[in-house]
Amino acid sequence: MIYPLEIKNLSFKYAQEGKNILNGLNLKISSSEITAITGPSGSGKSTLCYCIMGIIPHIYQGVLEGDVLIYGRPVSKMKVSEIAVSAGIIFQDPDTQLFSPAVEDDIAFGPENLCIDRKEIDRRIVESLEMTGMQKHRFSDPDRLSGGEKQLIAIASVLSLNPDIIIFDEAMSQLDEKSAARVRSIMGGLKKSGKAVIAVENELKNLKMADCLYVLENGVLHEEEING
Amino acid sequence: MFKKLDVRTKIIIVLCISTPAVLIQDPYILTAVFAVSILLSLFTGSNLKMVFKKLSNVWYIFLVLVLLQSIFSGSGQKLLSIGGLTILTAGGIIKGVEFVLRLMIIIISATIMTTSNHREIIQGLNQFKVPYEISFMVSVAIRFLPMLSSEIKNTLIAVQLRGIEIEKLKFFKRISLYRYIFYPVLINTVKKAQGISIAMEARAFRAYPYRTSYLILKFRAIDYFIIPVSFLLAISLILYYYFFD
Repeated sequence: MIYPLEIKNLSFKYAQEGKNILNGLNLKISSSEITAITGPSGSGKSTLCYCIMGIIPHIYQGVLEGDVLIYGRPVSKMKVSEIAVSAGIIFQDPDTQLFSPAVEDDIAFGPENLCIDRKEIDRRIVESLEMTGMQKHRFSDPDRLSGGEKQLIAIASVLSLNPDIIIFDEAMSQLDEKSAARVRSIMGGLKKSGKAVIAVENELKNLKMADCLYVLENGVLHEEEING
Repeated sequence: MFKKLDVRTKIIIVLCISTPAVLIQDPYILTAVFAVSILLSLFTGSNLKMVFKKLSNVWYIFLVLVLLQSIFSGSGQKLLSIGGLTILTAGGIIKGVEFVLRLMIIIISATIMTTSNHREIIQGLNQFKVPYEISFMVSVAIRFLPMLSSEIKNTLIAVQLRGIEIEKLKFFKRISLYRYIFYPVLINTVKKAQGISIAMEARAFRAYPYRTSYLILKFRAIDYFIIPVSFLLAISLILYYYFFD
């Protein structure tokens, strides 16, 4: 069986660092599932996200062993921009994810890169704004939005690419309860539409809707009971 | 009317103003071009008040430029000498004024571009057949400057919150403080720029050699009028200076 995402024996050590931050990780992610990953600060959660997105080894270098496979293809042999067709990521800091003068331009950026025609881009803008509840901000300047609104726009920008795997890398850590609840409901919607969702968070309260929970500690990933 | 000009027209206007400014060395013509650049900036809705306010903070640089030009191009009537060394000449002052005018024309004409947002500028360059990687590089550079400025402001506020009154510091201590904050400011700004570039790649930037565009710029009647007039005036001015003046 080919999984949307499969991690095989993944180990990683940043250049100039003594020990591995990830140690022989194995993980299979299926469609229509929310997989939660938690762990203390510095445990390597973001590093794992970077490995999935190909940011490691293409942008950040170090010693990488094992494989990350997207639909059976190793990400180490794909460009980050190629991986983006199948996997999208929302980072913790919305300020580095929005770079256009209007919200609709930011949402259109991904589909434009995929050479999608204007009519379809327009449809995707409307759809992603509806999913995130940000319709009224379509023509707003992202710099003038609140932190929570910016993060929802960053999510809409990734949704417009329509990737099969969506990673939320501590996307709720800077949000108030109302915005975090909105993000959780978006995750639920994505699961229903058949996407593989990976929610990486420090706070367990944000991971209650997950189908399976993994804890990353000392570079090792182990599965935990959701209600445990 | 001018406020709704296409960004490509604005690029052409800027080129047509700044090219004669660089090629012509006549203070009268430069003054005329300077006046035109101010008028056009006002018509297009530039915030000239803010530009002049910012320039007023660095007026002494202009003074130094005039003096340097005066000292090193010692042509014309001697106005001030110390010992055997000529400090100020009439020709030198004219050269200095020309240099400052040239600089002001370029700065003020460039403000015309600030009346369009950077998405429009990217699209304008793309529709001028500039490769999109280059136009986005320009856009990131445009975004980098406010990022650097806000990083400097935040760091200075952080320093002040620790009880240091920057205004009361002596000159050399102030320089030493700026040297102290230079690296963290630069590193944080570079980190943010790297964050933006990762976010762009993670959204399929450069996945294909071409990309479509949601925004399409279209020329209006006023653009079709302004573009040839701008070219005509710029070329006439250069020809007049080189062949008839």
